[in-house]
Amino acid sequence: MSNILSDAMMVEMMAKIQWPTEVKLFQPYEVGQITLADYASCLAVKTFLHMAQVKFSLQLRTNAEHMSPTQSVPFIQVGPLTLSDFGPIVSFVASKGSGLSEHLEEQERADMKAYVAMVTSTLHNAELYVSWLDKETAETVTKERYGSPFPWPLNRVLPWIKQRAVRKSLSSIGWADKTTDQVCEEIRTCCQALSEKLGDQAYFMGDLPTELDALVYGHLFTLITTHLPSLPLSQIVQSFPNLNEYCRRIDEDYFHEMLPDS
Amino acid sequence: MGAVHAKEMSHKSSHHDPMEDEEADIDLKRVPAFVEKIHVDGLGRTKDDIVSQQLKPILLATNFQQVVAKSQRAKVQMQRLGLFNDIDIHIDISRGEKARSDGYEVTFRVKERRRVTGEVGTQVGTNEGSIRFGVRLPNILGRGESLDAQYTYGTKSSMGSSALFSKPLKGNPDLRVLASVYQNNGEYPWSGYKELNRGTIAEIQFPTSIGHHSLLWEGVWRVLECMSNTSAFAVREQSGHSLKSALRHTFSRDSRNDSVLPSNGNLFKASQELAGLGGDTNFIKHEMEVQLNQSLPLDTVFQVCLAGGLMRPLLPGSSVKINDRFMLGGPLTLRGFNIKGVGLQEDGCAMGGDMYLCGGLHLYTPLPFRPGKGGFGDFFRTHLFVNGGNLSNLNNGAPLNDNLKNLVQTLRWSYGAGIVMKIGGFARMELNYCWPMGVQKGDSVNPGLQFGIGVSFL
Repeated sequence: MSNILSDAMMVEMMAKIQWPTEVKLFQPYEVGQITLADYASCLAVKTFLHMAQVKFSLQLRTNAEHMSPTQSVPFIQVGPLTLSDFGPIVSFVASKGSGLSEHLEEQERADMKAYVAMVTSTLHNAELYVSWLDKETAETVTKERYGSPFPWPLNRVLPWIKQRAVRKSLSSIGWADKTTDQVCEEIRTCCQALSEKLGDQAYFMGDLPTELDALVYGHLFTLITTHLPSLPLSQIVQSFPNLNEYCRRIDEDYFHEMLPDS
Repeated sequence: MGAVHAKEMSHKSSHHDPMEDEEADIDLKRVPAFVEKIHVDGLGRTKDDIVSQQLKPILLATNFQQVVAKSQRAKVQMQRLGLFNDIDIHIDISRGEKARSDGYEVTFRVKERRRVTGEVGTQVGTNEGSIRFGVRLPNILGRGESLDAQYTYGTKSSMGSSALFSKPLKGNPDLRVLASVYQNNGEYPWSGYKELNRGTIAEIQFPTSIGHHSLLWEGVWRVLECMSNTSAFAVREQSGHSLKSALRHTFSRDSRNDSVLPSNGNLFKASQELAGLGGDTNFIKHEMEVQLNQSLPLDTVFQVCLAGGLMRPLLPGSSVKINDRFMLGGPLTLRGFNIKGVGLQEDGCAMGGDMYLCGGLHLYTPLPFRPGKGGFGDFFRTHLFVNGGNLSNLNNGAPLNDNLKNLVQTLRWSYGAGIVMKIGGFARMELNYCWPMGVQKGDSVNPGLQFGIGVSFL
């Protein structure tokens, strides 16, 4: 089927879906399987759905990545539709009138989108770098987790293929040649910018949460709680007290009380 | 191709009259013969031991007819082993001082196969044609071993490549070991998925007095992917990587005079597959096929076909994936139904079953008024058929009887008539007018004209 035709069908299917409806979110198992970057992406989407008060059920699948139409996690199933990645999920929820950024002015929304782009391009790539290209982390943690659902010899082959794909995509944007120190520096710079933007507000764009908050929380909380053998990731984020406090607060507001739901 | 030339003995040819030709058969058996020497001309890379093994029985001949028959048999065996392109046999009386009066010399003039041959061909699968490019290295090690490399490109965006090494054992062309590696890409639109397979096979084929056996191990890494966003979610749930390591035994006994349009003879085929020796795919699968042919007056042939299969997962609680399940329906099996159009469907995707039965009764006749008789017309038949079959999932809680009862109660069947054409000696093309019956909810049917092309049929 041609792309235009299937895109048109998607739009039509999207429009037909009754709202609110049952939403299922698919992701890999958190214990023993999911990798750092995927964990952050899944947490960002889950936080967004919580913030937008979209009820969803969490579906854990070892083959979630390969089930996804774009081969990336998480993805959601809404009626006949499957949607993956943060951006498309956010726009879909917004198209159903449950978005988080309707209250923003045009200027603010553009501002927020710039931050969303920065977080994705810096923190997501940094997580990919740390989990797949940092030699020690890749060999001792990531590959083992990624290959864990598969029988020998796929548990060796598939992580190796994935590593090559990640290296290729990172090298196309010039990240593959960075050193681990440079990557840590990128994270620090990004956190610096976020810390300044947040200041002492409750959320990045004022008193109400937006998708930017979901995204930032997803990535920062992941970095804070990840203890890798060789890298001071959690210390970098924790050296910004307001970000640290912000993560702790969102965790309490959206996860501790909502946990039974998910 | 080679021919047997036998020179008549000089002392007997003095009085040659027309009667002697008729008596020649009897004479040859009575003529004592002792083969003193066998010459082989034209050997290059072929090893002596395999050739002499094939020729030894000729030395045991005691009369002239045996000499001819055993020489001919040796020729056929050597050709089947893939040793030579051309074999000419010359039988002459022994010459020289010590030659016996009943002594003979047999000379084989052989032409070895070229070291590398290439081919471009077409092949036919289930309603798909593909073009094949192949390179073959016949007789590479001198004992009938061959190495084939192939690349196929199909009409329905399937693609594959493979390499196969085959070696006959003990100079017996029916006893072989084979090893192959392959990769193929296929689309299964009736189930909404595509699949990339990379695998390796080790196989031994051996004949027994009751039929032909093949025992093989296959290790295959499969990557299943949805064809589009509209594929059923039940198919999407099964996408991803799987590894199958399976042992398969196939027994076949084929006495038909033709594999596409037989007029007599029977086929019996049974296979068992055990998956789960390593890998993450486990099941046991049985399949059987029977075909009986009976020729009737007026070049009419009555044919009965029956096939069935049964599978179940080895581990309780696990299920067999869609790419291993049975599918049923199509223009050459259960006619009147679309390809894999029988059984459980989810959002237009056939999900398959773990039990099936399918049969057919055919009455073949030559084309009316027999155009092209003795030539092109012999590739065609008209046929009347009745097909019946069913596909379902085993309900493990229920007794087998209930499962069978269910299979009978929801039986799909069809009848019709059409034209069958034989192509390439191994495939058939059919154009039928069908009336599907017993259609169940969710079945995908094709009443009326249906066109099909393929190798296996029921």
